[in-house]
Amino acid sequence: MSIKKYRVIFLPENLEVQIEKGNTLLEAALAAGVHINASCGGTGVCGTCKVKIVSGDVENEPSQKLTKAEFAKGYRLACHSHIISDLTVGILPESRLDNAIQARENALLARVSTLNWKYSPPIQKYYLELPSATIDDNTSDISRIRRGLKQQFDLEGLLIDFDVIKKAPQVLRELGFKITITILNALEQDDTCLRRIINVEAGDTREHLYALAVDIGTTTVCSQLLDLNRGKILANTIVFNKQISYGSDVITRIAYTQKPEGLLKLQKLVVDSINETIDNLLITCNVDRNDISYISAAGNTVMQQILLGLDPKYIRLSPYTPTANFIPLVKAAEQGINVGNQVYLYTFPSVSSYVGGDIVSGVVASGMYQRNKLTLYMDLGTNGEIVIGNSDWMVTASCSAGPAFEGGGIKCGMVAMNGAIQDFAIDPKTLEPEIKTIGDAKPRGICGSGLISAIAGFMLAGVIGQNGKYNNQLKSKRIREGTDGWEYVLAWAKETQIGQDIVLTEIDIDNLIRAKAAMYAGCDTVSRSVNIACADFKQVILAGNFGSSLNIENAITIGLLPDIPRDRFVFIGNGSLSGARLVNYSQDISQATLRVARMMTNIELSENNEFNQNYIAAMFLPHTDEQAFPSVTKALGNHINSIQKSEGG
Amino acid sequence: MAIVIPKTIYNGKVKEIKLGSDMQAVSVGGENCFPFYLFEGAMPHKPVIAMEVWDSGTEDWPVAALEPFKDVISDPAAWANKCISEYGAEMICLQLVSTDPNGMNRGATEAAALAKKVADAINVPLIVWGTANIEKDTEVLRAVAEACQGKNIILGPLEEKDFKKIGAAAIGYHQTVIASSPIDINLAKQLNILMGNLGIPENALLMDPTVSSIGYGIEYCYSVMERIRAAGLTQSDDKLQYPLICNISKETWKAKEAKVTEQEDPLMGDAKKRGILLEAMSALILALAGGNILVMRHPEAIKLIKGILDELYVPSK
Repeated sequence: MSIKKYRVIFLPENLEVQIEKGNTLLEAALAAGVHINASCGGTGVCGTCKVKIVSGDVENEPSQKLTKAEFAKGYRLACHSHIISDLTVGILPESRLDNAIQARENALLARVSTLNWKYSPPIQKYYLELPSATIDDNTSDISRIRRGLKQQFDLEGLLIDFDVIKKAPQVLRELGFKITITILNALEQDDTCLRRIINVEAGDTREHLYALAVDIGTTTVCSQLLDLNRGKILANTIVFNKQISYGSDVITRIAYTQKPEGLLKLQKLVVDSINETIDNLLITCNVDRNDISYISAAGNTVMQQILLGLDPKYIRLSPYTPTANFIPLVKAAEQGINVGNQVYLYTFPSVSSYVGGDIVSGVVASGMYQRNKLTLYMDLGTNGEIVIGNSDWMVTASCSAGPAFEGGGIKCGMVAMNGAIQDFAIDPKTLEPEIKTIGDAKPRGICGSGLISAIAGFMLAGVIGQNGKYNNQLKSKRIREGTDGWEYVLAWAKETQIGQDIVLTEIDIDNLIRAKAAMYAGCDTVSRSVNIACADFKQVILAGNFGSSLNIENAITIGLLPDIPRDRFVFIGNGSLSGARLVNYSQDISQATLRVARMMTNIELSENNEFNQNYIAAMFLPHTDEQAFPSVTKALGNHINSIQKSEGG
Repeated sequence: MAIVIPKTIYNGKVKEIKLGSDMQAVSVGGENCFPFYLFEGAMPHKPVIAMEVWDSGTEDWPVAALEPFKDVISDPAAWANKCISEYGAEMICLQLVSTDPNGMNRGATEAAALAKKVADAINVPLIVWGTANIEKDTEVLRAVAEACQGKNIILGPLEEKDFKKIGAAAIGYHQTVIASSPIDINLAKQLNILMGNLGIPENALLMDPTVSSIGYGIEYCYSVMERIRAAGLTQSDDKLQYPLICNISKETWKAKEAKVTEQEDPLMGDAKKRGILLEAMSALILALAGGNILVMRHPEAIKLIKGILDELYVPSK
């Protein structure tokens, strides 16, 4: 006789599933595709899988995680409720919020994202209506607050910032002992969590709980303003890192810090850049500066050290030691960041001198540490990083690609924002271009993804040779000799926002070839060192500041990415920023970052002979080793044949 | 148990290329094994010696190098013929030193006329070597290609910056070209790919890996040549299967070790012997690394190396 099946309906989505008797509600939810938080994995310890039984009956094991009152109202733990009848079950808002955020994050990160995290921001606000001080109850102000937190929220053993103590007396009395307390859960290096009162405000300010996620790139600084009540991105912004006038790569930046006042100056510049993004965001969203409660920042080791004013001198000198791989929270205002002095700054743990918090952040956001399929993660930035591995192991390396991917060091280059040419096609007969800009605005310049598609288009149309040099025999008024040698006019002055021709010079092409060669050679060298061929990668995750899209086909054509089946590639945008956002959403994520940072093994490429060989081999379009790029070589061969034929005829 | 001698597995072959016009052709390359590994494969042609003829600038030569050519030094055609008839040169390499814009800066037309004169006067293939000045070589070698139409002469050096224009002329007038790269296997391969894209036929391309004298980094050249051969022969990399030409004597005879006289430094010993040995031994090293054409100068150095190559070149039964 078959085992009896029951029908379970989950509200509010009204999702229905048929499930065998005796299964738990958690299993039923999984089968129905309904998300229920279950941080402990269904062992009944965490109590996060709480649901409400609307109708029907379940068999329960007792749990300390439910109060008697809750039990009476029909609340149960899904993991410990066995199905014994048809049921209608309500999913609680806590779970739903989490669900919605995860779904949104999943959409943001396309097919890859980190799993199994609970929405639990490190910052929480608690509203207290305390009894006024009287002669009979004249305990200290702080004791009063502590007593309230204990009575109303069962919170005790909290640390408290001195700044809170200083302002508490006035704030308490401002609106008759009605206050909002902000509590920070700070994760320490040993995985312990310390709770700390960081702010007290008059009245109920719970509605205003914002945080900032920042990606500090060598070339660009990107920030997002987050609404922590809704787990929502309110706005994005991107600016050039103001340090770029002091060198385009981390090495020259380090060199500059060794000059008198050099470190101080660069520290101020990156802080200015962050402050500029904050100003942009606050204006866009009409949010009060004082309502920002937390900042998380991810950057490469050098960027993070300079931001914190830590001398990066020894990063540059063999044997390349960073100051610290884990840095405790510091007050953001003390670093010069223009926010209230209650705000703490979280910086990501790093792996080595050249594999920093940005890559740890990206790997966490991509979830590659949770899956067993062999993955290649590439962060295409000025300081390019490569991670190879899966949930069991990860090796990583960094290589200096230069700023080309972010539009730096390119004559008409710009960051991926409105007006940047992000896609390009060329008519092989007339050699006329078709350009697509971000926001469909009139072009102002070209960003990384635009460069990649332009160069791929040029290659296949025979406008440039495999060495990246223009074929100046071609008859087109767009190919001309300019002040920096041969160039192609992407847009004439009258079509642009800037009133001058937007061109792509041979020097620009050369810069991009160097950048892509460094990335590919790094990937080649690291994979060979672990005896893996490019074809073995089951998934390739790409991160970078390319705006909304990166054309994989074009990136393969120029030899930036390995020539393997296209469906294995996923582009996740700015991975470092995604990770920085997620630590604001969940303490589980901050724990994961610590684990990921410890898991990674660094391979030093700076003194690696093989890397140098591979680099020269990759300085060609697509690559000197044509066998590694069969589909590109084939496409290119067809074009070359047709060109030779037409010239011969 | 009998000892089994391990054998290299080859899956490629150096392209066999016929140089010069049909009347006076010389073939190079064609080996399907490492140089002189005749116990593992076939090497149809021994390395070929091309003798140098300079159109000017010999006043800087050491006495020993100049001595055999004193009587013909001002007449390149006669010089070339003396090399062939008296010293057994299998090819001639005309070095157009006079066209150097930092020196005499002789014009392209004049240089082309000279190249044609030499080509007409000899019955072996002619190599015409420029000054490695991008603009000037473009001008001169294009003119030479045109003037020597029908001779299948060999033009070099063609570098990444000038291969297109010189290469186009070479294709047009059916000449062979030398792809010259700066001691790097990847750059060598890249240039060969570009040559192919341009339309240079596979049987009209030689590679110059850039060489230097003993004492001036020859180990590095050796290693790059060895890797080029290994890629072509054992990894069937068809872009690295072209014959290698080594323009070596120019390098050895300008070295201090060849130039200093015995009077200036008695410890260095007999200058003539020294210069000859430096040239011969440098050339031998490059032959062992896979050189197919050795550009040489002194008759005695040539005699010496030919003797050694004959001894090495004993096909196994």
